[in-house]
Amino acid sequence: MDVDLVQLAGHRARLADTITVDPVTAEVVRGAMETVCWEMATYVSRTATTPILNQSNERNGSILDARGRLAALSVGIPQFMLSSALPIRFALEYLGVEEFRPGDVFVANDPYHGGGHLPDYNVFAPVFDDGGELILIPSIQCHHGDTGGGVPGGYNVTANDIWGEGVRWPAIKVIDRGVERRDVLYALATNNRLPGYIGDLRAQIGAAQLAVVRLGEIIERYGSGTVRESVDSMIEYAAKRFREEVAAWPDGVYEADAYVDHDPLGNKDIHIHVKITVDGDALKIDYTGSDTRDEIQAWSTYGNTRGYTIAQIASMMDPAIPKNEGFFEAIDLIAPAGCVLNPRAGKPVSAGTHHPGADIGEVIALAFQHVLPDKAVPQTYKTGIPTTITGIDPRTGVQFIDPSTEVYAGWCNAARGMDAWGAQAASFGNLWKATAEINESIFPHIQWERDYRTDSGGPGQWRGLCGSHWVKQVRVPFKVYTYVVGMKYPMPGIAGGMPGAPNRLVLHYESDHELVVAHTADWVPHAADEKLNYDYGGGGGWGDPLDRDTQAVLDDVLDEYVSVEGAERDYGVVLRGSLEELTLEVDEEATARLRSARRAAG
Amino acid sequence: MRVGIDVGGTFTDLICVTPDGEVILDKTPTTPADQSVGVMTGLQLLADRVGLSLADFCRQLEALVHGTTTADNTMIEMNGAPTGLLVTEGHRDEIEMRRVHKEEIWDPSYPPPEPIARRRCRIPIPERLDFEGNVVKVLDEDAVRRGVQRLQKLGCRSIAVVFLHSFTNPVHELRARELVLEEFPDVEHISLSHEVMPKAPEYERTSTTLVNAYVAPRIAAYTGQLTDKLRSAGYGGQMLIMQSTGGVMPPDYVARRAVSLLASGPTGGVMGAAVAAARSGAPDFVAVDMGGTSYDVCLVRGGRPEIKTDWNWRYRYYIGQPMVDVESVGAGGGSIAHVRQGALLVGPESAGSQPGPVCYGRGGTRATVTDADVVLGYLPVDNFAGGRMTLDVDAARAAIQRDVAEPLGLDVIEAAWGVERIVNANMANAVRKVVAQYGADARELAMIAYGGNGAVHAWAQARELGVRRILVPKAAPAFSALGLLVADYLIDLTRAYVVPLSRVDVSRVVHLFAEMLDEADKELAPATLDPADVSRELYALMCYPGQNFDMSVPVPEGTELSDPNLLDLAGRFHDLHESDRGFAFRGQQPLLRGVRLIAKGTTPKPPTLAHVGDVTDASAAVKGRRPVFFGEGFVDTPVFDGARLGPGATIAGPALVEEPFTVVVLPPGDRAILDRHGNYDIIVGS
Repeated sequence: MDVDLVQLAGHRARLADTITVDPVTAEVVRGAMETVCWEMATYVSRTATTPILNQSNERNGSILDARGRLAALSVGIPQFMLSSALPIRFALEYLGVEEFRPGDVFVANDPYHGGGHLPDYNVFAPVFDDGGELILIPSIQCHHGDTGGGVPGGYNVTANDIWGEGVRWPAIKVIDRGVERRDVLYALATNNRLPGYIGDLRAQIGAAQLAVVRLGEIIERYGSGTVRESVDSMIEYAAKRFREEVAAWPDGVYEADAYVDHDPLGNKDIHIHVKITVDGDALKIDYTGSDTRDEIQAWSTYGNTRGYTIAQIASMMDPAIPKNEGFFEAIDLIAPAGCVLNPRAGKPVSAGTHHPGADIGEVIALAFQHVLPDKAVPQTYKTGIPTTITGIDPRTGVQFIDPSTEVYAGWCNAARGMDAWGAQAASFGNLWKATAEINESIFPHIQWERDYRTDSGGPGQWRGLCGSHWVKQVRVPFKVYTYVVGMKYPMPGIAGGMPGAPNRLVLHYESDHELVVAHTADWVPHAADEKLNYDYGGGGGWGDPLDRDTQAVLDDVLDEYVSVEGAERDYGVVLRGSLEELTLEVDEEATARLRSARRAAG
Repeated sequence: MRVGIDVGGTFTDLICVTPDGEVILDKTPTTPADQSVGVMTGLQLLADRVGLSLADFCRQLEALVHGTTTADNTMIEMNGAPTGLLVTEGHRDEIEMRRVHKEEIWDPSYPPPEPIARRRCRIPIPERLDFEGNVVKVLDEDAVRRGVQRLQKLGCRSIAVVFLHSFTNPVHELRARELVLEEFPDVEHISLSHEVMPKAPEYERTSTTLVNAYVAPRIAAYTGQLTDKLRSAGYGGQMLIMQSTGGVMPPDYVARRAVSLLASGPTGGVMGAAVAAARSGAPDFVAVDMGGTSYDVCLVRGGRPEIKTDWNWRYRYYIGQPMVDVESVGAGGGSIAHVRQGALLVGPESAGSQPGPVCYGRGGTRATVTDADVVLGYLPVDNFAGGRMTLDVDAARAAIQRDVAEPLGLDVIEAAWGVERIVNANMANAVRKVVAQYGADARELAMIAYGGNGAVHAWAQARELGVRRILVPKAAPAFSALGLLVADYLIDLTRAYVVPLSRVDVSRVVHLFAEMLDEADKELAPATLDPADVSRELYALMCYPGQNFDMSVPVPEGTELSDPNLLDLAGRFHDLHESDRGFAFRGQQPLLRGVRLIAKGTTPKPPTLAHVGDVTDASAAVKGRRPVFFGEGFVDTPVFDGARLGPGATIAGPALVEEPFTVVVLPPGDRAILDRHGNYDIIVGS
């Protein structure tokens, strides 16, 4: 059964014929709805049982209206929050609104029915007014540690098709008019490897039910008509603000290309192309020309593509604009059927959700780098997939699955006026990644290193963030499963900045049989006490490195983000004295000579 | 005589309880450059009020309890001691990576926090323990020595040491301290991570330890200076200082744990609220403090403020210390109202008290919440701030007209009402978030409103939240000082011991308990408390494997703990988990993460909390009338003189009750009774 996702994502009418609600009331209702989103996410954090939810914050709360339009969202990760609407619209329009009854709760996870990838489970429930009319649908989406299918962990990147990647639930009722469907919950549990899965799903169900109560109170307090008009008003306000931002951008047609090194099968140079047209307050984003090879294994569904597109565009606008359907309505998005950014139903998506999904942020930033240099900061990553390590834990005799979700730095680009900082791009700021001290008590390993790598940040007038030098030693025999990208195509520089250093994963690290992963590691066995080294890539720089303030370069050398040699090689800054003795200073004369010679040479 | 002195942003609040139980409240301007100047001025002021010389007053003092914002100011201005870090090699950059956390997810240009120790001041040291505390790489002592020499060259005066798993085995950190002292004998301060925060994980501990090392020298200098001044003024007793746990301890204790003073400011008010509410029979409530720039919210259940042990962020650093859980949002009387792209926004930007709202006439030009309050009739125009100020209502009206009414196409009253609705909604949402975190329901809670603006806005929030009872204490404006006087001595200690419950060595737990009890006794000894006034609660810190946050499970067995008790302990953990989080895995083996001791030394409480008048027929205390806007047209409203009202006086809304530093606003339908403890007990109408 094929669902036309482009049609599903299209424009939907507003709830009210006319909007008479005053802006103050609309603002009060918006604040109350965003608080409900926050309450849902907090509820999941309080009651979830597995670390990915109660430690890492991978949960996204949002509220849809009765037409499946995004009305409000709060905490989460932008890319995922913005892709949570379509499964609900599918349920509304294909199952029919009459399937939504008071007390119902649905579960959905299927990419070809509006979702991103199979481990992302969306739980949603309808809210009615006292006249029995459907008004709102709160939704809480969480990433789970497994989703059935060929391999543990939810990322079967070499599966032939979507069915091989895990079990698909387009939209299924777990609570029917307030009564738990035991048959359905049993079926869900049976199709998942993790014992904590149902507990986490129950946390989501509880969160959705809590939101139904809260939203019911808001409808009762302000009246159904006022709430509907408020939703319309906030969506129109966001669309208006969006168009005002676009109107301030220079008119023109801007194109760019980005590539993923290869798919998990080794097919090279997965290509995405964008053509952006800014015409007054109209914005068109067209991915025509992106890869259409049928044999490749790197597919981002239309809903996923749309979420990543909007997340990047949103990062380029006033952060205060409320994030809702207004963003979708103000963009004309074209992703031809059959290309990597809108695959035909059934193609596998485990690898493609991230790549080329994430690379959308990169290609949009590249297209805009010369016209909107202040705003072109890719909100993206080059993760491949999380590196999964399995073995038998000697303390318990049971298999452990370590998804390597601990902290490391990677792929964070500089912005004009600011060196990149922290660990990853701002979009991922709601994550809260795992630590050595806790993970070493859970898994039989030692995390020896993850510091910044000197000279790995992309040089520029403002410097990209260094990547991490990550070393882990596992104390028992283990196997490694992963997919690595960002080696041939690291994070690009922007507006004359240089790219960050590439990724590099070394198996059997510091042994006589070191192995650099070419594209995938397919359960590669290791002996006890062997090490892995992942050098995570750096972020790209912004602007010409020859324009970087010389004292800033000196500071970077003192802080060992940049080496003495790197200062000269990458920035044209000549230093004298000794780092060891803290006597370093800029040789201004030699620097001026070197920089002008470099500029003359172009 | 017992005195509480609380330093706030604008005013230093003073409270004195005389031997015959009289409560004296006053205020003096805060002296930001050296807070001790304002403290001494305040003491003089109180001495004058009781008719004594400063020397006689000081000699008669039984207790002096102090709340200071020195730690907070150090972090706001980032002017702490130059600090260096010795850290396990390979983990030098945890403090910058922040577990990937960034505060603004939609803004790629959001700046980093200002560093306490730049990368060059973070020295990687070869050494490593595993999670059980076994040494897997020995400490490189030469590297420590060289690192300390380098930090000296870099100008560091304070040193933090953070080694992985040191809370399980401190051997390397302890040796590092010896080496630091050998190489750098006049170092101002050393913070060892296992002493500051004896638990996992490393980012949280690094952040906490760095902040402690950065702030501690400033606290030591401040408390030293103030102690000297008190001594020369004739005070021979011990000063006590309020911590963010809501308990008090002497200066030498807090100087070692400087980080426990951060965010202690609002806790005084919460502790005061807890005592006031308990006397009026309201054990479960939300305390709301609305001042000039911020709105602070705290949930109190069973008379105990919620203590938050995780996710405490202050000044963009993670503080891994238990704190009274006060959430703050930028909503206060000085919050600025403006229209941005057609949307009305109120705060977080604030005009504060300088220049302040337009109606203060001190040079403020932008419309604020207080300006809306005065336009709508809530505030006394001629008798503001205890009669010390006259408000310029025309200027306030003009500012609202220009900043809000015109851009939105509203009339000035609609505009002022819009400002009220937005700021009240922002505050109500803050309350909802606090209450939601603990799974509580606002409709089952009372609201205790204080701070200069709390009682002006409480009525509207109560309606928004479904709260049915509001308490406004007469002592509200100096509540944080009152809180100091009712706070108890409090020591909160933990020791790490990470092991599945089935493999716990009970003798080790008993030993850790004994060690903590001994430490607490030593710390409390100078207070010479009656043993009957000291309570000690022991807890096991437990979680399910894989959980990040642990729970404190009571261990009443204490040092009598035995192997069979462990089974009970597991059962108690499952029960607690089920009641707090809604589920338990009874088939699963819980993990012990450590042990905890909370030792409390009770201090005497004042018999009355506020001076109450003697007029019980409220109508006799009416001093005027004015039109007030409650949402639907102006209503002619009587104004009562709060100072004259006696216990039992009953007032039905619409009404305004003017107190020296605040106004209690009662809309039509609300009804207030002044109780004998000095609390306005308000039943919210529907």
